[in-house]
Amino acid sequence: MDMKRDYYEDIQLLNSKILWFWFIMLIASLATLPFLLPNYHIYMVNYMAINVIVTVGLNILVGYTGQISLGHAGFFAIGAYGTVLLMTNLHFPFLLALVCSALIAAFFGFILGLPALRLEGPYLAIATLGFGMAITQVIGRWQVFGGRMGLEAPDLSLGPFVIDTDRQLYFVIVTIAFLLILAARNMMKTRVGRAFIAIRDSDIAAETMGVNLTLYKTLAFAVSAFYAGVAGGLMAFLLGFINPSSFNFILSIYFLAFVIVGGLGSIFGSIMGAVVMTWLLLTLDKVQELPYLGAVLVSFSERWMNLAGLPNIASIIFGLIIILLVVFEPLGLYGFWIRTKIYWKTWPF
Amino acid sequence: MFLQLVVSGLSFGSLYALIALAMVIIYKTSEVPNFGQGEMAMISTFVAFTLLVTHGYSFAVSFIGAFIFAAALGVFLEFVFLRRAKDPNILSLILITLGFQMVLYGLASWKWGADQKDFPFPVSDFDVINIGSAVISYLNIATLLITLFLMFMLFLFFRYTKVGIAMKATQQNAMAARINGIRTNRIMSITWALSSMIGAVAGMLLAPIATLDPNLMLEPLLKGFAAAVLGGMTTLVGAALGGYILGVIENLFGGYISLEFKSIVAFLIIVLVLCFKPSGLFAKHYVRKV
Amino acid sequence: MTNNNLFSVDQLTIKFGGLTAVDRVSFRVEPGSIFSIIGPNGAGKTTIFNCINGLYKPDAGSIIFKGEDIVGQKPHRIARKGIARTFQNIELFSRMTTMENLMLGRHIHMKTNVWTGATFFRRGSKAAQDEIKHRERVEKIIDLLDLQSARNQFVGGLPYGTQKLIELGRALALEPELLLLDEPSAGMNSEEKQDLVFWIKDIQDELGLTILLIEHDMKMVMDISDLILVINFGKPITEGKPEEVQRHPEVLKAYLGEDEVIDQSA
Ligand SMILES: Nc1ncnc2c1ncn2[C@@H]1O[C@H](COP(=O)(O)OP(=O)(O)OP(=O)(O)O)[C@@H](O)[C@H]1O
Ligand SMILES: [Mg+2]
Repeated sequence: MDMKRDYYEDIQLLNSKILWFWFIMLIASLATLPFLLPNYHIYMVNYMAINVIVTVGLNILVGYTGQISLGHAGFFAIGAYGTVLLMTNLHFPFLLALVCSALIAAFFGFILGLPALRLEGPYLAIATLGFGMAITQVIGRWQVFGGRMGLEAPDLSLGPFVIDTDRQLYFVIVTIAFLLILAARNMMKTRVGRAFIAIRDSDIAAETMGVNLTLYKTLAFAVSAFYAGVAGGLMAFLLGFINPSSFNFILSIYFLAFVIVGGLGSIFGSIMGAVVMTWLLLTLDKVQELPYLGAVLVSFSERWMNLAGLPNIASIIFGLIIILLVVFEPLGLYGFWIRTKIYWKTWPF
Repeated sequence: MFLQLVVSGLSFGSLYALIALAMVIIYKTSEVPNFGQGEMAMISTFVAFTLLVTHGYSFAVSFIGAFIFAAALGVFLEFVFLRRAKDPNILSLILITLGFQMVLYGLASWKWGADQKDFPFPVSDFDVINIGSAVISYLNIATLLITLFLMFMLFLFFRYTKVGIAMKATQQNAMAARINGIRTNRIMSITWALSSMIGAVAGMLLAPIATLDPNLMLEPLLKGFAAAVLGGMTTLVGAALGGYILGVIENLFGGYISLEFKSIVAFLIIVLVLCFKPSGLFAKHYVRKV
Repeated sequence: MTNNNLFSVDQLTIKFGGLTAVDRVSFRVEPGSIFSIIGPNGAGKTTIFNCINGLYKPDAGSIIFKGEDIVGQKPHRIARKGIARTFQNIELFSRMTTMENLMLGRHIHMKTNVWTGATFFRRGSKAAQDEIKHRERVEKIIDLLDLQSARNQFVGGLPYGTQKLIELGRALALEPELLLLDEPSAGMNSEEKQDLVFWIKDIQDELGLTILLIEHDMKMVMDISDLILVINFGKPITEGKPEEVQRHPEVLKAYLGEDEVIDQSA
């Protein structure tokens, strides 16, 4: 009665000519972008791409599998310190060091996932909070990790190419981010991702349909930690210098905020969330330089608050964004995007 | 050495116990672990500090002012944010309390900056008395006594006052309580106020030992959770005992095994308890219904 | 122990606090038959299912499937042995489409892992082949149950009856040898119920499944069951062919209301 459907099309990344066109356009613009932007903006884009990696990974855990983590700064730190230490002490080449330390992060994720099996929401949140804090403590006190002083990132080279500007780093970071996004998207379209989502929607049904809860819940942690580990390793080189205070509890909440803002359970949303929020974060860092608003805030701070503390309004704004989104728009930017799309589809009518 | 470690462990433990109590009171009524608990206490402590140092009020006035602030803050947060959650599942409730945490942390850092301040206190941390081979400061003794006194008051409150009994009824079965004419919404507000004030006590007892800055309560928050988990999250007595146990274990670990890793004890305890006895040491287990 | 028995339950007992929800229940199911469990609300029917697929661990008794005692095994292991079920209160993956729900039913037969899943970029890749192969089976089930119109819709928003069918489809996708259906017709109108009876018979003929059925609709139970077990307060009352069971005095008293018996004769 009907012609045979091509099932591959349903999972294929680019199943039409138009998509191919846009895909190539995207790659072309990503490739030319660093030659058009001033240096500071390249730095910002790099920052965004790194946060995209963490956010996509964290969304696999929180948005797709329905587990929570308040300790992702811990995995991020493991990636950063691991990469730097493997390169300086054991002279691993960069990519190998990066993959190894991401795998170490994944291993820690797996271990942390084990208690997670027995834990429902609140307990899991507490355990992961403890994990993140413990990691910060350990690297802050142990001399191998440079203690409070931190560590300097070694020189970076990829085969014959020396990478020492943000523009060169851009190609490394963006390529890796790009591949990891595709990987996440593929994973979510196939068996493993389906099992994750199934666990989120009904763990009982998933279990009775043959999904090994132990395996898949810990796997989600491991995959998510792997992403955070890679991102951490890249961050070490973007900052050039790492110390324990860059990986505190607040950072874990920032990551969570990226996911919430983008939208739980959407990779595209994660990208939007990380990009928008990183921009906001970096802008708020220098809020006093903003036209008008900056001056107002400065005089307000001088009158009522404390000028030195002004950059902390980032924390206030992030907190408010989290609360407001959870209360009013749990789907985040992605939900917003979907609704605009529907709106425009039916537009003149 | 051993005695010393135990004694000062108990003193720290009583702070953990207070934070754990504050958390458990909320957890029992709202079923949400309050990640804003630490920051609520921190900011109340700053209010006390401002009244005391910046405005020069007496200890009594400043502390009472801080308690009133703490209560108002608790009511405000519960009423304005938590109650609005459209789909109050665990994840969104947790996220909302994390939101508070961020907002309060940011506000405190903006207002008072990151530099560390000395928090004056009517009892000294330097005058000490000797008990056998152990030394204990007046402040430690005051901490222990104040905590015990507070716990006793809480016991009386839940046992004999009308509000306390209504609160307990709401914790056990909100629906039934409502049917019996208890205004559970109001109880919810009172719960948050009470919890916030208990937290404030912990903050004000901790600040003189630790120096006051916006990070004051970050670690104690985790310790409080560890204590609460140890006690099973749902019993007040368990939470209090959990606090003392944690304080002592942590100190002994720091004294005999490794000072560097002392602060991961809390995390290890959380993980171990959750792995081997998820219902905590003092609470009963229950099976989920399919 | 006869080996040709696919499935038997012996002296199954489970307690919740003071309540004995299932009390020494025994029965055996012939391969390829439809065996029904009936009883009033709270009798312990669903609890028996929960014990069979490992969600609850019984306090005593054994559950033999293909010659092996499966008590104490994890649900996912039991699923792999070939037992699938549907739930009384629908447990679908609400934010997945119908097709994805059914694909999850293929989980135990598929091979894709994290690595092959993340790195498929061609039609020929392992993961893509895996998907295509199992999609074909899933499409057959979609055709069988007439679910084409729901294929790409999120199941959360579909009508109740359709959701029940999707659950059935998901269970079938697992290719079980033993299928547990917990009140499959609840919430369906009489037309849908007729279709369901037809499908259940059809499935059983075609796939040679053994079916364990919990159902409140007496007409349907009497219509399709080979054997019926009646329980009340966790205890077995009687077991037998439909016509035997509906004549049993205690059944009439304990369970079958007047109208339902009359309804049956119509
Ligand atoms: N996890 C549990 N904890 C406590 N009691 C339970 C649990 N699961 C089931 N019960 C109790 O066991 C008894 C049997 O329940 P069950 O769900 O098996 O009944 P049922 O025969 O399926 O009834 P219905 O026709 O309403 O579906 C009930 O009293 C129920 O409350
Ligand atoms: Mg039932």
